[in-house]
Amino acid sequence: MATNDQATTGINQQLLAAAIKFNAKIFGLVSGIFAALALIVLTQISLAMWGEHAGGYLGLLGVFLPGYTVTPVGTFIGAFWAFIFAGLGGSLTYWFYGRMVGKNISAYVDKLNDSPDPVLKPATLRLYGVASGTALGLAIGAALFFSTSWLVIRGTAESSVHAALLSNYLPGYTVSFVGGMIGAVELFLLVFVSNVMLAAIYNTVVDIRQGKVS
Amino acid sequence: MNEPSLKDQALLSAVFAKMDVLAMAIAAGVLFALGLFAATAILLLQDVPAGYPVGQHLNALQSYLPGYSVTWAGSIAGLFNGFIIGAIAGFFLALFWNLTHYIALASMLIKTAILAD
Repeated sequence: MATNDQATTGINQQLLAAAIKFNAKIFGLVSGIFAALALIVLTQISLAMWGEHAGGYLGLLGVFLPGYTVTPVGTFIGAFWAFIFAGLGGSLTYWFYGRMVGKNISAYVDKLNDSPDPVLKPATLRLYGVASGTALGLAIGAALFFSTSWLVIRGTAESSVHAALLSNYLPGYTVSFVGGMIGAVELFLLVFVSNVMLAAIYNTVVDIRQGKVS
Repeated sequence: MNEPSLKDQALLSAVFAKMDVLAMAIAAGVLFALGLFAATAILLLQDVPAGYPVGQHLNALQSYLPGYSVTWAGSIAGLFNGFIIGAIAGFFLALFWNLTHYIALASMLIKTAILAD
């Protein structure tokens, strides 16, 4: 069914919404698996290197991942939580990214090099740094604010010396609500710039590999 | 059944677009390398009294990254190590992305075939 939006942009809004939902689920799944595997690998490396003395720093994650310890059993409890948190974060991030790109999808699809069979012979993905930077920056900034707030709420702000070290990179950051907010804004900017760079490098390599850059 | 319009085809093309694994590995590698170098350099450029231990916590990374330390020489090793770790992360991210799309697509095609029978 054509909507008013479709009449103005030529884009099937229902298809667009379904596409964003589909890819948000996929990105959530990928993020969850990625975070869980990364935690398992890091914990196992730590255990292999230091045995029962492992987990000086890694063990601090137990504050945010209930039940996580640098032990064989704790690894899988932590991996479960990492999958849940990263999965939800990834899904929300992609949804926001999709909505941002979606607003400009009309211009995007015009210049897209269509594949003759978009499903079975897919085109190569292009990244939109501003949109991915905004989405991921918001997600990671919010994660810093909420994790800082959690340290304050549980009453361990004063003893959170490792978290406070972030002020080396995020001036003005402290383990407090206000400090968390300042850190979140700075981290947003850092992630935004990093993502714009990532997208620029990725797209350039794709162009080179497709022979679009001599 | 109506054929999808060109815009719809282009949209589908964007949805099922595969990530370039090599490009993502290189991009993530470069970003991680610069990130680790910058993180080390920021600590080294701080104005601290002579002999003051700088970057004690970041130094713990030397357990995982050969040659790395919070020194200018170590930061160069960090560039190399950062690139390798970033490239591995980027490689797997792109691989998982493509793989999950293929799996989702395969399950949709199987579902469609079952419904058609």
